[in-house]
Amino acid sequence: MIRFQGLNKWFGNALHVLKDIDLDVAKGEVVVVCGPSGSGKSTLIRCVNGLEPFQKGSLTVDGVDLGAKGVALRDLRMEVGFVFQQFNLYPHKTALENVTLAPIHVRGLSKTEAVERGEALLAKVGLADRMNNYPSQLSGGQQQRVAIARSLCMQPKIMLFDEPTSALDPEMITEVLDVMVSLAKEGMTMMVVTHEMGFARKVAHRVVFMDQGAIVESGEPASFFGNPTHDRTRDFLSKVLHH
Amino acid sequence: MLGNLNIRVIFEYFPALWQGFLNTLMMSGLGFAGAMILGIIACALTIQPLRWLRAPAVAYVDVIRATPLLAQLYFLYFGLPRLGILLPEILIGIVALALNSGAYVAEIIRSGILAVPRGQFEASMSSGLTYLQRMRFIILPQAIRPTVSPLIGQAIVLVKDSSLLSLISVVELARVGQQIALDRFMPVEGLAATAAGFLIIYYMLKALAALWSRFNRLPGQA
Repeated sequence: MIRFQGLNKWFGNALHVLKDIDLDVAKGEVVVVCGPSGSGKSTLIRCVNGLEPFQKGSLTVDGVDLGAKGVALRDLRMEVGFVFQQFNLYPHKTALENVTLAPIHVRGLSKTEAVERGEALLAKVGLADRMNNYPSQLSGGQQQRVAIARSLCMQPKIMLFDEPTSALDPEMITEVLDVMVSLAKEGMTMMVVTHEMGFARKVAHRVVFMDQGAIVESGEPASFFGNPTHDRTRDFLSKVLHH
Repeated sequence: MLGNLNIRVIFEYFPALWQGFLNTLMMSGLGFAGAMILGIIACALTIQPLRWLRAPAVAYVDVIRATPLLAQLYFLYFGLPRLGILLPEILIGIVALALNSGAYVAEIIRSGILAVPRGQFEASMSSGLTYLQRMRFIILPQAIRPTVSPLIGQAIVLVKDSSLLSLISVVELARVGQQIALDRFMPVEGLAATAAGFLIIYYMLKALAALWSRFNRLPGQA
């Protein structure tokens, strides 16, 4: 579904942010990407929906070669949902309007269809009673759940999460993770950048550890957490697991 | 000085003042409408990536902002006929006002768009909206809100600038005031009447701004 092959990215001439990335994500697979800040993990998943260009190597997403000239990014983005750390809900639209805007104007759904679908999704993320609230009237956890519903309403094939719980108060993290867990169990293809190792242990098929722009180690959660091979991985895990 | 203001003269000239008031209002209204259109176009051209479209818009904004309105006005007044374009003075005046304010409007709107958080562009891009859809549904509605007050400010400046049109013999508020001064040698009465007219327009604009913000308040905001 997603295939990185020898992908390299620089910011300007000097800053080498992604180094020889090779990574395959199969359909229905949940891959958690972790690593210290500045390791390039956010940049990595931002490449997947074309928010970040890259300079060398190749990246194929759902059969689309992102390195090709004149690639139809818009068509690809319809199939790839993206959830941001800062939610990025549209502040001048209600929760329901946030969710239905793209299905109506991009997918061409009728308003009735979109509203029906949007209401069902908002109910699914536990916000049936908040549909007509504006983002400023919602808590961080509620906003992030609206943002997830907004992406799901496009019925994407892939969902990308860029530190979805990092901007949340601790008591709100669970409500967002619960939604993500149920999504993973439904078989959604997901790439998740997160420090929530509990989530990784529970639902990830694979955990990828990045440091300084390169993938250092990747493996199934059991072996990744139980028996990490690299010192840097061990060091990182001791820091995120011990509190 | 104001104690012995000759009110009777002002009443005597009331029909002329009223005509001047209406003209000022009309020219300012049309001028500002033109400025908004020019400003939006110039702004759209300055923020898009193609250089050959951007350069003329940037040049327009720079030239207008760098030169005085009076110079621009005379340039059109004396320049257009030489190109074979003969327009009534009042129309030249409106064009000059629109051209002049358009450059400032472009900058005001641009600042509004730049103030929209980057995440809004990324979120709307990620959901597959086209450039025009992003602008229309997501960016512009958010960009316009903070620009309303500076735009009203620009409208107020334009109304006052319209008094310069008296120099190309357009009959507006300031011109009528000058007439009172010249016909009757009562400059204070003339200027006071002119000032009162401008003050009325100013308060009309201010009321308009208040009305707008009242009906366009975001929920959860004061």
